[in-house]
Amino acid sequence: MFTKITEYEGITEYRLDDNDLKVVLVPQRAAPVVAFMVVYRVGSRNEAVGHTGSTHLLEHMLFKGTPTYNKKNGNQVAAVLQKQGAVFNADTWFDRTRYYEMLPNDQLELAIHLEADRMRNSFIADEDRQSEMTVVRNELERGENDPGRILDERVWAMAFREHPYHHPTIGWRSDVEGVPTSRLKDFYDTYYHPNNSTAIVVGDFDDQTALDLIAKHFGSVPRSPHPIPHMYTVEPPQEGEIRFKLRRSGQLGLIEMAWHIPEARHEDSAALTVLDHVLSAGVTSRLYQALVETQIAVDSGASSFQFVDPGLFTLDVTLTPGVDHETAEKAALEVIERMKTEDVTESELQKAKNIITTQLIFLRDSPFGVVSAIGEAEAVVDWKFYVDLPKMIEGVTAADIKRVANTYFTEDNRTVGYFIPREF
Amino acid sequence: MNTNSFASRTQRYQLDNGIQLLVLENHGNPTVSLYGYFWAGEYFNPQGKDALAGITASMLGKGTTRRSKLEIAESMESRGARAGFSSNMFTTSLSGLSLSKDFPLIVSTLAEELRLPAFPQDELDKMRQRMIASIREDQDETRVRAYERLTQILYPAGSPFHRAPADQLISEIESITIDDIRTFYETYYGTGSMLITVVGDIVPDDVLKLIEQSLGDWQGASPSTIDLPVTPLQSEPMRETISLKDKPNCDVVMGHASRLRRSNPDFIPAIIANRALGHSTLSSRLGMKVRDEMGLTYGINSGFSESGIGDGPFTISVTVAPENIDLVIDTTIEITNDYIAEGITETELADEKSSMGGSFKLSLATNGGMAGRIADSVLFGLGIGYLDEYPSIIAAITKDEVDEAIRKYIHPDVATTVIAGTFE
Repeated sequence: MFTKITEYEGITEYRLDDNDLKVVLVPQRAAPVVAFMVVYRVGSRNEAVGHTGSTHLLEHMLFKGTPTYNKKNGNQVAAVLQKQGAVFNADTWFDRTRYYEMLPNDQLELAIHLEADRMRNSFIADEDRQSEMTVVRNELERGENDPGRILDERVWAMAFREHPYHHPTIGWRSDVEGVPTSRLKDFYDTYYHPNNSTAIVVGDFDDQTALDLIAKHFGSVPRSPHPIPHMYTVEPPQEGEIRFKLRRSGQLGLIEMAWHIPEARHEDSAALTVLDHVLSAGVTSRLYQALVETQIAVDSGASSFQFVDPGLFTLDVTLTPGVDHETAEKAALEVIERMKTEDVTESELQKAKNIITTQLIFLRDSPFGVVSAIGEAEAVVDWKFYVDLPKMIEGVTAADIKRVANTYFTEDNRTVGYFIPREF
Repeated sequence: MNTNSFASRTQRYQLDNGIQLLVLENHGNPTVSLYGYFWAGEYFNPQGKDALAGITASMLGKGTTRRSKLEIAESMESRGARAGFSSNMFTTSLSGLSLSKDFPLIVSTLAEELRLPAFPQDELDKMRQRMIASIREDQDETRVRAYERLTQILYPAGSPFHRAPADQLISEIESITIDDIRTFYETYYGTGSMLITVVGDIVPDDVLKLIEQSLGDWQGASPSTIDLPVTPLQSEPMRETISLKDKPNCDVVMGHASRLRRSNPDFIPAIIANRALGHSTLSSRLGMKVRDEMGLTYGINSGFSESGIGDGPFTISVTVAPENIDLVIDTTIEITNDYIAEGITETELADEKSSMGGSFKLSLATNGGMAGRIADSVLFGLGIGYLDEYPSIIAAITKDEVDEAIRKYIHPDVATTVIAGTFE
């Protein structure tokens, strides 16, 4: 029924022979709780003009029912999970859509059954799409209330011209409003198959019991009748700095800068992750000391977004009232320039590594923390990326940091957006 | 006594200076969580100094007479450990999270900050600036504005539930001095009311030794008492609108004084009464109609905010596009009135009890969750044994008790409605 693919650092991977569902089992017996997650390798990366936001809207539609679990029967997904006190939801991002449940371990079968059922049996009915579209539109409107979020959306849209990371996962408003139900159904029929997904179980369970339950419920779901389409659009190199200003109602000025970086599986990923922490983790970090401690900014941060395809390294600054954008940008860029010319100190390097590795251990306090981390790793590389992360981080040197700073933090590769509060 | 019970597994110690120490061993992960509190929260703010408790707690992290803020941060961040203080409505809490090997560092750092704060002027100046910027930023959020205004209508100035208007808060923050902070510290900070819970990969007697060494010879201020009258229910409904620019989404908050405290004998029936109405957007009555069926919102929830030591408001919150405001409000009131007239159904009651049992198990799945539950059971005078009795307490609740709680605590007829958004 299952082929055992590999066992590594206490985690076991199987393949369900009938349909190529990938199964990852992570025992963690501290409490009588399990987390179950199905990750589909489809996200807004698989969308194009006219149907941006479809993957996310489809994710909402998977709560609307199947012939087995539905509102008419009084047993729709949310109600049966809520009854168990489960923590559950689903979300969509560039590279993946994930559905998850954390619940008492005697309810593992319920989670497995629900996910197996809605993988192929969801209604995706037009009347449900109409009412859910306005729910999603309100979700979109909530996001548009937030200046930081609008600025971030614009930065990605400017930095990516051709690749679909250009558009936000929630989609463009008119696409969300206009997409026909048939297009959502196409997405469902194209991507929601066992051979395009990974089922992950974390927590206090017996391996054989979990495998038996997965076989019982997913075993009858056929493999896709067609190959899963390959997304082939490539973002060409950015040839020159992009700059823009956004004026809207708001209280504080914001700056977001971004540089293109490689995909998650690239050898520079670990160095970029350490660099992100040197810049932004804690009071002792470079950006905090240069911007917040000096009262140029009230807040600052950096993030290394590593995806299936090349992503962005972003740096954001919330200005202290009275400080102009140019002054804050200059101070932030000085921090970046120093990363290119000077080695980070040994203690700084070790501190960043320790913060990353202890965070990974803290995560293990909860099965949900682990299932999320493994799910994200599965979405962009595979689950071993999560297991190997501490080793990869440990291997990063001061020279690596300087090298990646010089490689990626160039002017031509940079996008800079200002949010300027509009006066009325 | 059941050897698996919380009461039997939790080691309890009482130090001579009043500190109650509760330790629960859990060797599932090499980490330790610490959570504690003492009576020095916002309730104790002197008149005209609404932010003083919060500023005092934050200033503990800004350096001691032995070490600067940066030196302390360096020692913690270099090990990926976290510790700090924050103020709540009635208490100031201390918390920490570290690998088990670094736990002595957490205790010694918290003790040093608690006993030897330096309260440097330049740090107060910086913090003031950040707090003011953050208040201004919050003023741009529809959700914050609606809830803040609701508390001003429902609770008189001076009540801990009344949120001061931003301009007033900002001028109070500008006027707070180091002397104010020191006086607050000397009046309220002490061990007499202090509870510390520690959960994780640690031996209880070792924790006792660490706490005795670092805090055993300190007493500080004598414990303060709380004397807070119950706020009566409003007699008339009210409606107010707050206009902001560039907000595609509106926030609507409806509410009234709840008169519900954790010490009320019908607290659990009241919680169940609310859960069936609006605890979950995806499965409660309000969400099933307003989101699932009508598609008018991404989120609608009801709840007793801050029903603990004191009696905060009962609120229903919903996000909505401007054109649907009246429809959402009318529908919400209709559903709530029907619920009051019909009472909870037997199915809803059974589902909510089951849900509370499951979610209780999940909350005990992490060290932090357990530390919080233990601390709360002592804070509310329930005793640790309560955690063992909780499932049977839930099971015993009847429909009559819940229906009575619905009629006693939910009153849309006198609710105040505040709407914040852009209206053109």
